[in-house]
Amino acid sequence: MFDRDTEGVRIELRSLTKRYPGQTAPAVDNVSMDIPAGELVVFVGPSGCGKTTTMKMINRLVEPTSGEIRIGGRDVLSLNPDELRRHIGYAIQQVGLFPHLTVAQNIGLVPKLLGWSQEKIAARVEELLTLVHLEPGAFTDRYPRQLSGGQQQRVGVARALAADPPVMLMDEPFGATDPITREHLQNEFVRLQKQLRKTIIFVTHDFEEAIKLGDRIAVLREGSHIAQYDTPAAILSDPADDYVAGFIGQDATLKRLALLQVADVPVTEPLPDPVLPQVAPDASLREALDLMLAHGTDRCSTPSGVLTYATLCEAVGNRPDGTRPEEAVAGDR
Amino acid sequence: MSFSEYVISRWDTLSLAAAEHAMVVAVAIAIATVIGVGVGVLTHGVPRAREASIAVSAAILTIPSLALLTLLIPLTGLGWGSTLLGLTAYAFLPIIRNTVTGLRGLDAATVEAGRGMGLSRPRLLLRVQLPLAWPLILTGIRISTQMLIGIAAIAAFVDGPGLGNQIFEGLSRLGSVNSLNATLAGTLGIVIIAILFDVFFYVVRHLTTPRGLRVRP
Repeated sequence: MFDRDTEGVRIELRSLTKRYPGQTAPAVDNVSMDIPAGELVVFVGPSGCGKTTTMKMINRLVEPTSGEIRIGGRDVLSLNPDELRRHIGYAIQQVGLFPHLTVAQNIGLVPKLLGWSQEKIAARVEELLTLVHLEPGAFTDRYPRQLSGGQQQRVGVARALAADPPVMLMDEPFGATDPITREHLQNEFVRLQKQLRKTIIFVTHDFEEAIKLGDRIAVLREGSHIAQYDTPAAILSDPADDYVAGFIGQDATLKRLALLQVADVPVTEPLPDPVLPQVAPDASLREALDLMLAHGTDRCSTPSGVLTYATLCEAVGNRPDGTRPEEAVAGDR
Repeated sequence: MSFSEYVISRWDTLSLAAAEHAMVVAVAIAIATVIGVGVGVLTHGVPRAREASIAVSAAILTIPSLALLTLLIPLTGLGWGSTLLGLTAYAFLPIIRNTVTGLRGLDAATVEAGRGMGLSRPRLLLRVQLPLAWPLILTGIRISTQMLIGIAAIAAFVDGPGLGNQIFEGLSRLGSVNSLNATLAGTLGIVIIAILFDVFFYVVRHLTTPRGLRVRP
C-alpha cells in the first residue's frame, strides 16, 4: 500500500483539525507536524489534551474535520479506511485481544485478511512470538484469558506488528501493567525498535516513558497544540517554556544523565582502576552517578578507563564549579 | 381407567399433540430468532431505535395471550396461523433484549482494536461481536422458548395444535370420565417438552460457545 512496507515511512500532518459537534473549542486545533521515516515520536501531554484524538486521525478511527494526512506521500483521506488500517499497526492500553480466538488466531487475523497463505501466517506467528519473548510452542494455542497482563500486552504488540506495517500507532500500550513489567516491556521495545525501524507514534502521559522510548517528543497542550517538538535531550536541556519545564519536573539534569551512556563520554585515565566501583559501558550516566554517591567517591571505573564527577557535569553542559562552558556536549542518542 | 392406561390408550393422539406442540414452538422461536437478532443487531447502536424496539416487544408481552390469540382470528383464522403469529410475537422481548445487551456489553477495547486492525463493520460483527455476544443471545432464545411452551397451551383456544387441547378438553368436562387424566396428560407432556428443550439448549450452548470464553484463567 505504501511505497515500502516493513520499514518506516514518513508521516506528514498538515493543519489537522478535529471539531466535535456541540463543543466550542476544537479537540485538535490546526496541528502540523512531520514525523521522519523510521523514528519513534512520542506524543506526551495531560489527559484530554487531544493526543489520542490526533493519533486516531492517522488511521481514521477519528475522521478529521479538516486538514491533510500523508503517509509515505500518500493522501490517507483518499484511501479506503479498512484497507488503510490493515497497513498500520495499532496497539492500545486495554490491548483488546479477541477472547474467543487463540493467540495465533489473534496475531494471524490481519495477515489472513490480506490473503496470506496458512503456512506463511503460521511462520509469521512463530516469528513474532519469539520476537516478543513468548515461547511459540507454549503460547500459540492459548486463549487471551489464560495470559497475564504483561503477556497480553506482548501479544497485543505482536498482533500490531503482524502484517509488518511501516507505521505503528501505540496508545499507552504498556500502561495497564505493573511498574516492573512495564519497565521490562519498555526495554524490550527499545531493543525491538532498533531492529525494526518502523515509524511509530506513541501516545503517553508519562514523561519518563517518553524520554526512554522517543527519538523525538512532541509535548502537547490543550487542543493538541505543540508546545515543543524535539529530541529528548534538547527538550530536557532547553525547555521551550514553563509548561514544558513543568512537564519535565525538577530533575531535568538527572533525566538527561539517564539518556547518556557511560560509553558516550570520554574517560580521564586510559586504564580501568580495580579499586574504584565498577560500572558497565552500557549503563547510563545516571547509574554511574548513583554508584559514586553510594560509595562516597567522585570517580568510578569503566572497562576502558576512569570516569569522574567532572566528566558527568561536562556531559550535561556544566562545569563542576557551576559555570556553563561556551559549548555544551549535546546529548543525543 | 388409570392414568397410565389412559396414556397408553391415547398414545397416538398424545404423541401427535406433543410433536405439534414442540413443532409450533420451534418454528415460532426460529422466526423470532431471525427477526429478533436482526432487530437487535440493527438497533443496538442507535439509542432511540433500541429503546423503541424493546418497548414495543415488551408491550406485546403485556397483552394477555387469550386476548391476543382471539384478536388474531380475523387476520389469520383459526389453527396454526394465529398460533404461530401469536407465539412469535411473544418471543421477541427476551431475544431482542439479550442481543442488545450482549452487543452493548462487549469490551469497548475489543471492538476498537478490531476497527483499528481494519475489520470492516460487517466482518467485525460476524467474526467478533456476534460470537462474543452469542452466549447471552442464546440465553434469550432459551428464556423465550420456555415461555412459549407454556403459552402454546392456550393456542388450543383458537383451535391451534398442541397439548393445550388435552388440558382444555379435561377442564371442559370436569368431573366426567378421564377429564382429570386428560388435563394431567397435557400438563405433564408440556413439562416433559420443556425439559427436553432445556436439555437441547444446554447441549447447543456447550457446543457453540467459543472455547476461548469457556477456558479458565
